[in-house]
Amino acid sequence: MLKGIHQQLDPQESPAFFIQGPKPFPRLMFFCALSLVMMAVDARFDYLGQVRQWFSTALHPLEVVASAPNEWARNINTYFSSHNQLIQDNFKLKQQALIDHAALQRLATVDAENAHLRTLLAGDAPIIPQATLGEVMHMGRDPFSNIITLNRGSRHQITPGQAVVDEQGVVGQITRVYPYTSEVTLITDKKLSIPIQIERNQLRAIAFGEGKRNTLDIPYLPTSVDIKVGDKLVTSGIDGVYPAGLAVAVVTQIKQSQDSPFAKIISRPIAGVNNHKHVLILKVPDSPVINQTNENRPFLPRNNAQHLDQSVVDVLQKNNAAVDPHPVTETPVLDTGVPEANTNSQGLTPENTPAPVAPEHP
Amino acid sequence: MKPVKFSTIVFTMLVGLIFQLYPWSNSGIIIRPDFLLVIMIYWLLQAPYHCNIGWVWFAGLLVDLSTGSLLGQHALTFAITAFLGLIYQRRLVLFNRWQLYLYVIFLFGVQRALILLLKLFAGGEIPDWTYGLPVISDLILWQFMIIWFGELTRPKKL
Repeated sequence: MLKGIHQQLDPQESPAFFIQGPKPFPRLMFFCALSLVMMAVDARFDYLGQVRQWFSTALHPLEVVASAPNEWARNINTYFSSHNQLIQDNFKLKQQALIDHAALQRLATVDAENAHLRTLLAGDAPIIPQATLGEVMHMGRDPFSNIITLNRGSRHQITPGQAVVDEQGVVGQITRVYPYTSEVTLITDKKLSIPIQIERNQLRAIAFGEGKRNTLDIPYLPTSVDIKVGDKLVTSGIDGVYPAGLAVAVVTQIKQSQDSPFAKIISRPIAGVNNHKHVLILKVPDSPVINQTNENRPFLPRNNAQHLDQSVVDVLQKNNAAVDPHPVTETPVLDTGVPEANTNSQGLTPENTPAPVAPEHP
Repeated sequence: MKPVKFSTIVFTMLVGLIFQLYPWSNSGIIIRPDFLLVIMIYWLLQAPYHCNIGWVWFAGLLVDLSTGSLLGQHALTFAITAFLGLIYQRRLVLFNRWQLYLYVIFLFGVQRALILLLKLFAGGEIPDWTYGLPVISDLILWQFMIIWFGELTRPKKL
């Protein structure tokens, strides 16, 4: 009987309490308090990480749906990219490969020599990182932070803290990992700092991102410091996150003011932090390979100047070429680990080194 | 006018979330409207018997999770904006079109200002003038909502 009365009532005429529940102001206070608590918990503790993980997994299908139009557009674009363009690119890339190989031949010799000298001095083997190829999904949805999202996540053994590079230099660092995606904070972000070394005189310092301006700042260096405009900054490798010797930035501006004991040094990142499609996610082994130094072998595994297997760099360069003929949507995981380098170490020149993993395109 | 179905609200919320998740490019992100905010504010004013401050707050939480920003900051600003809309809801439905535009612009502006405030507290930097542009695209999206789902319902004349 009561139900019957209920149905007769128009929603407009029933008492306000039953339509709206609590009044707006207490409701607002409740939700304000709730969100403030959440912000505090999220900022100070780690409890909500699991919520994010769970949500990200649940949202993955929606994300796929949302990025589908872009994917189609790119596929169609690829389909109609002209034959001529491809031939031209191919030609250009082959020329580049020739030049690179010439440089690499010398490199192999120098590396071997370097390894030999290191053993003579009983030094540690250089750390050779493993690399995973990742594709940039989008440039972040929050205009305040310099974050890009990659299509590799914890399912692909990505962990927070890994360094991300492109073929020119350091892009950033993985800061948050979801099951299928991961967030990379760019080196230009305000929150990120990176230990660097000036290539010319090995001076060590720390570079901080400057946010929106897309530059890096090197504070706390005295005005008398030996830095010139045009100096190249490379990673020093003392943090154990970034392998040593990766290009970071070029000094573009040095300001010295009377009232400050420190010089204001501005530098511009070398890697195309904002315009790339494919990047490498590096994994630095926890400790250097010890057994090799113990055996006191004359030759250590060949490693390149970039500390990356050349084939991986090749793949990367191809993928970031002007026209992307085969967008790598499902790339095989490229692990160029120590064991592999070990097998083809002894004096192989790059020409007869077979590319260990070449992505097969249908 | 027929009362709005609750499923319509959930559906539009889902569509808004998909648009929110769309990989916006660099220039797109400058003019991207706050899809979920506009949609939820529209339903708050159109159907306050379904969509209350809690739902708008929940939409803000979804935005937080999708942007990967500090959990709760969008939710907080959405809830405050919803409150400012809701206390004038009875009057807003009587406004003419231009008065309504003004008030809606005010609401979207407040939300952006609050977010900016929170980001500045967290050590962000002051953005340039383009930060205000999404308010305009918000208004365009608002107009689309009006076209698709009708003008705000006025109470029946007695």
